[in-house]
Amino acid sequence: MKYTEKTIKKGMKLHMMHTDKFKTNLVAVFLTTKLERNYVTMNALISAVLRRGSYTMQTQEEISKQLEELYGASFDCGIDKTGDNQVLKFYIEAINDAYLPQSNENVLKKAMESVLDIIFNPLIENNAFKKEYVQQEKNNMKQRIEGRIDNKRTYALDRCIEEMYKNKPFGLYRFGYVEDLKEINEKNLYERYKKLIDQCKIDIFVSGNVNEEIENIIDQNENVKKLEPREPNYNKESEKNHEKQGEKIENMDVTQGKLVVGLDVNSRDEDEKYNAIVYNTILGGSANSKIFQNVREKANLAYEAGSRYFKYKDNIFVNCGIEISNYEKALNLIKEQLEDMKNGDFTDEEVENAKKSIISSIKTIDDEQDTGITYYFGQEMSGNTQSIEEYIERIQKINKEDVLQVANKVEINTIYFLRN
Amino acid sequence: MQIIENSKVKEKLYIEKLENGLTVMIIPKKGMKKKYMIWGTNYGSNDNVFVVPGENTKTKVPNGVAHFLEHKLFEQENGTNSLDTLTALGVDANAFTTNDMTAYLFACTDNFYPAMDELMDYVQNPYFTDENVEKEKGIIGQEIMMYDDYPDWKVYLNAMQILYHNHPIKIDVVGTIDSISKIDKEILYKCYQTFYNLSNMAIVVCGDFEPEKILEEIKQRLKKSKVNGEIQRIYPEEPDTIVKERIEQKMEVSRPMYTIAIKVKPTDNPEEMVKKDLAIQILLELLVGKSSPLYKQLYDEGIISGGIGASYEFSENYAHVMISGQSNEPEKIYDNVKQEIAKMKTNGIPENAFNRIKKKIYGEYVKDYDDVENIANMFLTNYFMGINTFAYLNQIDNIDVEYLKQVLNDVFKEDKMVISIVKN
Repeated sequence: MKYTEKTIKKGMKLHMMHTDKFKTNLVAVFLTTKLERNYVTMNALISAVLRRGSYTMQTQEEISKQLEELYGASFDCGIDKTGDNQVLKFYIEAINDAYLPQSNENVLKKAMESVLDIIFNPLIENNAFKKEYVQQEKNNMKQRIEGRIDNKRTYALDRCIEEMYKNKPFGLYRFGYVEDLKEINEKNLYERYKKLIDQCKIDIFVSGNVNEEIENIIDQNENVKKLEPREPNYNKESEKNHEKQGEKIENMDVTQGKLVVGLDVNSRDEDEKYNAIVYNTILGGSANSKIFQNVREKANLAYEAGSRYFKYKDNIFVNCGIEISNYEKALNLIKEQLEDMKNGDFTDEEVENAKKSIISSIKTIDDEQDTGITYYFGQEMSGNTQSIEEYIERIQKINKEDVLQVANKVEINTIYFLRN
Repeated sequence: MQIIENSKVKEKLYIEKLENGLTVMIIPKKGMKKKYMIWGTNYGSNDNVFVVPGENTKTKVPNGVAHFLEHKLFEQENGTNSLDTLTALGVDANAFTTNDMTAYLFACTDNFYPAMDELMDYVQNPYFTDENVEKEKGIIGQEIMMYDDYPDWKVYLNAMQILYHNHPIKIDVVGTIDSISKIDKEILYKCYQTFYNLSNMAIVVCGDFEPEKILEEIKQRLKKSKVNGEIQRIYPEEPDTIVKERIEQKMEVSRPMYTIAIKVKPTDNPEEMVKKDLAIQILLELLVGKSSPLYKQLYDEGIISGGIGASYEFSENYAHVMISGQSNEPEKIYDNVKQEIAKMKTNGIPENAFNRIKKKIYGEYVKDYDDVENIANMFLTNYFMGINTFAYLNQIDNIDVEYLKQVLNDVFKEDKMVISIVKN
């Protein structure tokens, strides 16, 4: 796989991943803007309204029919938090012409044009979004936000993050808030859309069997032509919350308790964050990890037990699903593992094994197009241009001493427990 | 090795059945860094009553044994756990159990052969003790409780309760706290001896490999094994009828979840299975897919807010269609789906839409060949039903309006429909 990038206009980049090993091409457009309490709900809603219909394909039905004609091209959109930014993501994946029953249909070009049309050429009536779409999507968004409780695992993790980052951008829920919805209408939402499109950072990714033709398609695209160069309005740095939040217990009608422990890693620089990746793998990132072994295999308290490292925010979240009466036991076991790590109670071999599994997953980044896109977007956001090989070398160099340094900086910030 | 090539996706399947009865399938994928191996046995939670080859009487085991066995197979006599050993090699190892099969797998970039050593060693060498069996009950107990809090799992399982009178598809794959308490090492050994005979198993490998070499490497790691006689699997008599039409459960959910299910007469002819599967997928798209009139109507009325899940699940001895999602008015969806089916029966299949959907389904099958894990899993699952996965790409051209009509009338019957709801 070969990665190239090109600035289309100021604040707007084209990233191309050239590879011929896939049967599909994947196009992604990311709009990145600051996470702000005032706009978080509107931004999320914009994405929902856009996929209802564009100026050229005015209904969902028309969009769906177009995608079906393109041999089941799949269109998807999502909202993510990347550091202190809210990212509106749009994807379209379509099969390569080489695998079509009839050749020369140029499915990729049509797919790209469709996604650009949906994002940048919305259906506008009387200088506003279509009223009906906005009303319906407000209702849907309300249901979606309320639907948070339906998956207890992700709910517990989100709630721990909210408590940990109370009144900070990262503590905002990525789909926004129900109470904001009633003030939103087709006019003010369209105003917000225009501002967002004028100011956000725009990244277009094209992965697959691509060539210079792609640049031409983008350059010639009317929707892209009308975009102005911009000084993109997004957060390059992200804000920490070092204030300890302590223990938060929430009650709900659940059978199993969900425990999430939010940790501050306190890395001083980018290098230390790589050390933290290894630290997390040993702590709770694999089946050999301290937490999996002690909480699940030895104490048999849980089926799910592990941890994840959020590199942008430099936090680790430990999570497990347990019998409610085992709360203290599980929490103490987790604390013990943190202490053991501090005391250097892990071997060089464990460090090497952790590095092996991390490197293995880095090597497969370009086996999946969406993972590749996520990786290069991460590079873009942190202002690096590190290749996959360099990433591997960086992990390769880490030793026990480096991991021990991480262990001694890690602190518990928030303990969240969902119980009945 | 037999080579089966598919010109549409430009892939090749290398397949061989060894003398000991094991089937090996290899799908080479040039340029992929990830290598994947999966070893499956044709044994799942449905296989609860059977006659051990060589015995005369039937054996009945507690619910959840296949899954319990999957957990325990990782345990080694020397005190190590194979999952740990594999993880230490830097490979991503796992296992899963379904109603119909159990499988052990790993994905890696390096250390493929050491990982193969470990996988093939632990699957062939069970080690169960009273102590390690007892210990697992705590972990699986938490797994069961975890599923108890998944409304989408409950709504599915409840639909099975009212769709089937006796068939074990009703039973939760993991069993219950009560049923797993009855499992001991003797039961595990007996099921192992019966279902983990090589003649009941298949290995699939996918990645950038030379197929001949992989086959040799696999052969070298196989213990001597005799082909067992056929395992007689006993499924209870299952009437064609449903048990009752409606079931409801209370749980804390933001909005009701529903599963509409239709009981279908199963077939054990592989070619027919594929054709029927394709036809049902096309019909479901026409009925509730994103470009269907019903989808538009329900969306505009605010009854749905996103895609309606639609699928067809089947084996040789059970089959059902499912339509599911989340909505404040599941009963309305149910009525509308029934009406839409009736309408299509009267008005016929819309030809334009049919051709468009065929393109879509073709594209989706092509997409399936980009991921080594997905490829291997498809070939394994289908193999146990006697299906060669390539058949889907080949059969799709043979589906015509006449056949769709026939399937519409045979499958989408009102008196075979049920609805399961989970709500506050």
